[in-house]
Amino acid sequence: MKTLLCIREREYGWAQEAFPAIHPLLLPLCNKPFVEFLIDFAILTGSTAIRLLCDGPLAEVERYCEDGRRWGIDLSFGSLQPDDSVPVLLGKNRRFCGDERIMVVSGFNFIRYDKRQEYARLIDGAPDGPFASCGDGGIILAGAPGTGTAAPDEAGISLIPLDSTASYYEASMETLESGAERYVLPGYGGEPGCAIGRNVVISKSVEIRKPVSIGDNVQLLGGTIIGPSAIIGSDVIIDKESSVSSSIVLDHTYLGENLEVSGRIASGNLLIEPQSGASIAMEDPHLLSGIRQDPVLAAFPRLLIHALVALLMIGLLLPPFLLLWPLLSLSGKWKPCPAEIIDGKGNGTIRLKTVSLPHHGALGTLAAALSLDRFLMLFRVLGGQLALIGSTPVSAEERGDSNATAMTAYRPGVFSYAEAEEWPGCGKSEDASIVERFHLAHSNPVTDIALFFKAYINRIQEKITA
Amino acid sequence: MIITETTQNGISVVTLNGTLDALSCPEFRANPAVGDPGQTVVLDLEKVDFIDSSGLGSIVGAARKKRQQECDLFLACMNDKVRKVFEITNAQKLFHIFDDTGAAVEFAAMQQEACK
Repeated sequence: MKTLLCIREREYGWAQEAFPAIHPLLLPLCNKPFVEFLIDFAILTGSTAIRLLCDGPLAEVERYCEDGRRWGIDLSFGSLQPDDSVPVLLGKNRRFCGDERIMVVSGFNFIRYDKRQEYARLIDGAPDGPFASCGDGGIILAGAPGTGTAAPDEAGISLIPLDSTASYYEASMETLESGAERYVLPGYGGEPGCAIGRNVVISKSVEIRKPVSIGDNVQLLGGTIIGPSAIIGSDVIIDKESSVSSSIVLDHTYLGENLEVSGRIASGNLLIEPQSGASIAMEDPHLLSGIRQDPVLAAFPRLLIHALVALLMIGLLLPPFLLLWPLLSLSGKWKPCPAEIIDGKGNGTIRLKTVSLPHHGALGTLAAALSLDRFLMLFRVLGGQLALIGSTPVSAEERGDSNATAMTAYRPGVFSYAEAEEWPGCGKSEDASIVERFHLAHSNPVTDIALFFKAYINRIQEKITA
Repeated sequence: MIITETTQNGISVVTLNGTLDALSCPEFRANPAVGDPGQTVVLDLEKVDFIDSSGLGSIVGAARKKRQQECDLFLACMNDKVRKVFEITNAQKLFHIFDDTGAAVEFAAMQQEACK
């Protein structure tokens, strides 16, 4: 038996919006990533190999799961198209499937199962076709049944579609209530309904009311009350005299003093009401905040090198700018057109003073060839708002566009990586974003500078030959 | 880069062996089946040990041209290194990707038949 796990971006889009810092497949349910529940279920059904198929990025999931050796199975990854049917998926993975029986689990659904059941026998004997369904997804079996006994009724399998914060909250709470009797859950506990991870510091005056699940590296300071029905993630601090009940506190969250959280999901500095999905972003870091490494610090070498080269370019381009700008302005060829673009964090905007520079006439061509229309943008590199070379800036008006907002890597630059490459010349922004993502993932500050000069020279050639 | 071309069910199967980078891209683009926009191709990438942005650009560019002529380019047998490049860049969304050349040829033939 082998399993194909098929999950589409459209099914988990809500989770990306609600919890942008977590890959939806790694979204924890009772402190266990969602994908692990699927893997556990596949193993219970007797699968020796699992392939995870998705039309979105899987790198983070792959880093977490690796090759499946941890579970004693062979785990591989692949892609699918959003509209691929089950027969197409079986065809696309023919080498993986071989002659074995295949279980296709599709959709972003939580599978209610019981680890004490003998699913291997039940699934083996079940006929070809749908085994359980839920909305657009479900469990489908392909291939001739084996010698096992088929009795789907006794399987006790049902699916909960995870399609909102409400269903996520309910599934988490249900898993917590069912506890380790039904599912394989992380943490240690001397008694049922209480699971505690590693490196958890609990002050003497802390009160714990079952059921609770507490992750790793957690500090519960004096006077806090945890539970009933509280899920505390990893790397969490709950400060003095606070209480958490019927709530989920996701990883990397700090909860301030004297705070009462009930029936909510806390993630970083966000407090989410599960039923409506409404969220409040706390501005006060003493009340609620995220505990993560500052990304600016990690990007410091790149920021520094980009700023130094930008400074050099400002020095080189200042004389021609001071000479050509007044002349072009007087002749009406220098047309400022302010633009608002999405910033590198994806949640704010940057106002830019861009210039429309028709490159006809000797002066216009010279100014365009020297990229003087982008001269003022170089100052934004000094401030770290723009990279010297990066992604093509996405206009704020395109914020709602899935291509723009779903970018896994976006770093607006004065020049773009696509300009550095003759790539592939179709003029499609979708294609340009492919090469930009390639370089965002593979480049370092030194290659960035080489690519910047390449883009600059390409632009000179382009403007002169235009 | 060693490029081998065979035909199965009227579909050209182009097998690449080696590195697909800025140096080998012209050779790839010069392949008759890849360069012909009116020819549906299955690209076997099993033995591609490295692909850079130029290689990726050549594949995307070839596919775009073929799609303008109602043909297509299908990818087969990607190894993990190549798959990760396609995934990081989101280029996987542009292609039907198979783990078996035979299945890709069958699918391509079916698609071609449907277009006629």
